[in-house]
Amino acid sequence: MMAELGGGVRPIAGGSDLVVNMRRGTVAPEHVLSLGRIKELCVINLSGRELTIGACCTVASLAESSVIASQWHALHEGALSLGSPLVRNLATAGGNLVTARPAADLPPPLMAHGASVALQSSQGLRVVSLDRFFLGPGRTVMKPAEILTGIVLETPPAFSGSSYIKLGTRRALEISIVSVASYLTLEKPGGRIRSARIVLGAVAPVPIRAVNAEKTLIGEIPSGPLFAKAGGTAAGESKPIDDHRGTAGYRKDMVSVLTRKTLQAALERANSNKGE
Amino acid sequence: MKKTIHITVNQKPIELEVQPNQTLLEVIRETLGLTGTKAGCLVGDCGACTVLLDKRPVNSCLVLAVQADGKQVTTIEGLETPQGLHPLQTAFVDKGAIQCGYCTPGMILSAKSLLGRNPRADEAEIRKAISGNLCRCTGYQKIVEAILFASRTSP
Repeated sequence: MMAELGGGVRPIAGGSDLVVNMRRGTVAPEHVLSLGRIKELCVINLSGRELTIGACCTVASLAESSVIASQWHALHEGALSLGSPLVRNLATAGGNLVTARPAADLPPPLMAHGASVALQSSQGLRVVSLDRFFLGPGRTVMKPAEILTGIVLETPPAFSGSSYIKLGTRRALEISIVSVASYLTLEKPGGRIRSARIVLGAVAPVPIRAVNAEKTLIGEIPSGPLFAKAGGTAAGESKPIDDHRGTAGYRKDMVSVLTRKTLQAALERANSNKGE
Repeated sequence: MKKTIHITVNQKPIELEVQPNQTLLEVIRETLGLTGTKAGCLVGDCGACTVLLDKRPVNSCLVLAVQADGKQVTTIEGLETPQGLHPLQTAFVDKGAIQCGYCTPGMILSAKSLLGRNPRADEAEIRKAISGNLCRCTGYQKIVEAILFASRTSP
């Protein structure tokens, strides 16, 4: 249907973004194609070590999923911090990605968990790492006839933990000033850091990996000073702007603080997570 | 180009012809005349337009009417029974939780959904559940007290 209707068609899932933009007149599609009734797109499925989240799963269903809460802590926290309870009942996992807003709440945790997305068109299916999915505000690598059908995640190995913190001035209906998601895997409880991912939201045109900060952690024994050093490095890697939500300088300082705090929370979870 | 939809509004099945770009809010207020549901910000921020869609509270300004096809909608008008007001409605009146009244239908529907899932919700859970509903009179304390009262006294 996407191919038949050509360029004037916009897929709709929850509609919490598209309906607002249609009312504002910033988008005026000739056709709106609902994905909401495709049952396969509304399922969270753990098969072996692979977790698949259908694009049309609501953010509320992610926040309520005991499977996600047990192993994918950052994603659980990201889902709980998005919008309001009312919006979470409409907004979908796929929608929060394809809209490509720099301050969106799901991309940083999903990238911290190493997620990929499945992109389907009548021409076929391709799987793209979320690290390479976003091109700029509102822009992704998706082709016009493609639909994002799902998100794929690997179960974290034993002694892994993650955390997401969103900084805002209120607890609901907030657009992040800064957000950070961190993920750690340890060699053993109390042991060295085997792998690390740190993702920064709202401080660049797209959510970004703080790769140099990640490098400072690998092979090291976790400690407060080490996490503070990683925070400083992450702040240096961020490229924030001044706007009404905060100045660039404030945002850089907060990247440092949130990186340290999310790493600490991820560490505590990693130490107590023995895998399944 | 109108579309036919079948929705159940306050337990009554209805067939409607709607424009594809009409929101559920517009259909509820203008076509069905159920003006208890309020139009506020129209961008999903204020919660004045809250209705229950398949028992879950949503901003009806963000839902296209065609998306509600086949679903159950509950508006504030659906809470009263021949026996009288819903216990939450009574609690809002008795506890002084209504000031200008604009946020009240949304507040009550968010609270109803919460108590449906969690009949003994505590204050923190109540505050979280109504965090998508804004009260410009800032009467939150009385609203929370009313919902707490309803949760403690419900059978």
